[in-house]
Amino acid sequence: MNCNECLAALETESLREMTPDSPVLRHCATCPDCARLTTMLRDKEYETATVLNSLPPMSNPLTVADYAVNTAQRRRVGRVAVMLSGAALAVTLWFVGARIVYPAFEDGDVGPAGVRTETIALTCLSPQQAGDIIEPYIRSQRSRYFTPTSGISTITVRGTAAEVAKSRELIRVFENDPGAACRATATSLSKLERDLWRLQGAFPNPNPNPNPRSNPNPNRGRATTGLLGPSDQPLVKIYRPRESGPTIPEASTPPK
Amino acid sequence: MRLRRSRKRPSEELEVAAKPTYAQLAANAADAQLASLAAAGDDAAFTTLVTRYQPAVFRWALIFSRDADEAEDIAQEVFVRMYRQLDQYRSDGLLSSWLYTITRRTANQTRRTLKRRSRLALSPAARPEREIYTTDPGGRVDRERAAAVIREMFSELPVRQREVFDLIDLQGLTPAEVAARTGMKPVSVRANLFKARSSIRARFLATHPSYSELRK
Repeated sequence: MNCNECLAALETESLREMTPDSPVLRHCATCPDCARLTTMLRDKEYETATVLNSLPPMSNPLTVADYAVNTAQRRRVGRVAVMLSGAALAVTLWFVGARIVYPAFEDGDVGPAGVRTETIALTCLSPQQAGDIIEPYIRSQRSRYFTPTSGISTITVRGTAAEVAKSRELIRVFENDPGAACRATATSLSKLERDLWRLQGAFPNPNPNPNPRSNPNPNRGRATTGLLGPSDQPLVKIYRPRESGPTIPEASTPPK
Repeated sequence: MRLRRSRKRPSEELEVAAKPTYAQLAANAADAQLASLAAAGDDAAFTTLVTRYQPAVFRWALIFSRDADEAEDIAQEVFVRMYRQLDQYRSDGLLSSWLYTITRRTANQTRRTLKRRSRLALSPAARPEREIYTTDPGGRVDRERAAAVIREMFSELPVRQREVFDLIDLQGLTPAEVAARTGMKPVSVRANLFKARSSIRARFLATHPSYSELRK
């Protein structure tokens, strides 16, 4: 055995199991470097084993046993307490879920705050009118209504289920009431007609039709007054309310 | 040229664990009886068990810890767990093997806890230097020496390697016994042992005049 083989053997072999007639020790008998190394390794392992194996524990066994018993019992109690706390938490969560969350889902109050959004089509009321009607009822947090800016006749309500239902009901009532909002009242019609007469006086038709019969106005008898366009078409048509309304004065006599 | 490792065949080193002697069987029967008494609430029996096994548990814990104080903490925790789990002990196995398993698990858990705490600490410099506390001057010297040995020999080794090296080379167990005790495969025991020996001895081998040129 040469030094290389001896070092390779010393790297991984057990020093305890080396007998005097082993190849490593026989080589060490002839090589002082390897002998020094082998002795150093043996001494080091022996010293380590001696130091670790001879070190006694400092704690008294009686104290250790007493502490272990007390701690184990305390932990057992703690575990029971934790289990009871967990059970109480589970019951609380179940109660909250069953009494608050689940009914909210049942009512349709879906979403993080129970808010829902609904768009209501309007046939008679303007969006502003509908907004005026429902505004006092849209009072909860995050509730509001939206009126479209593009002229489409709808209103969008966001609120709780109760608020949305109330808004829908109010709008339905006012939409179905003929004299409620969208049918012009007699007073408003009279006012509008007076304004139109005033405008016509300020801007008279520059090309009045000399012979009305040759070019009969197709709206004659229906469109009663208003500004006339280039071909005698009224710029604004006003229709009388069907049920009741004011008496429309003659076109030739402007109202006073 | 690289060092050539002379490896023995597994069958040469991993001999079958020896059959227990009558004395060991009698000791195990006594342990089992004490354990059943302690599980029934007999504190005196438990104290006897602690007295009998505290040095062994402390010795096992030493190899998993940084110093003797930490080993004391681990040993204390081992006996707390032992008391809680005594009803799970089956008397057909050795009490020492069962205790070693608890020690191993407790030490690993303690190491994880310490690692987590050290991560949570503000900075390593903010932590106080760990001092060995004992009122006995001789014991203090012994403990400081043990801590130095642990630091010098095992600080760089992974836990498995230091465990296998300690059990086989320092405590004299056979690889088969170590495999049975740690739950590792014999091949893994052998591989870990070789790696541990190689790591530990490399520093000393480096002092050989031809070692550096052999490593080239």
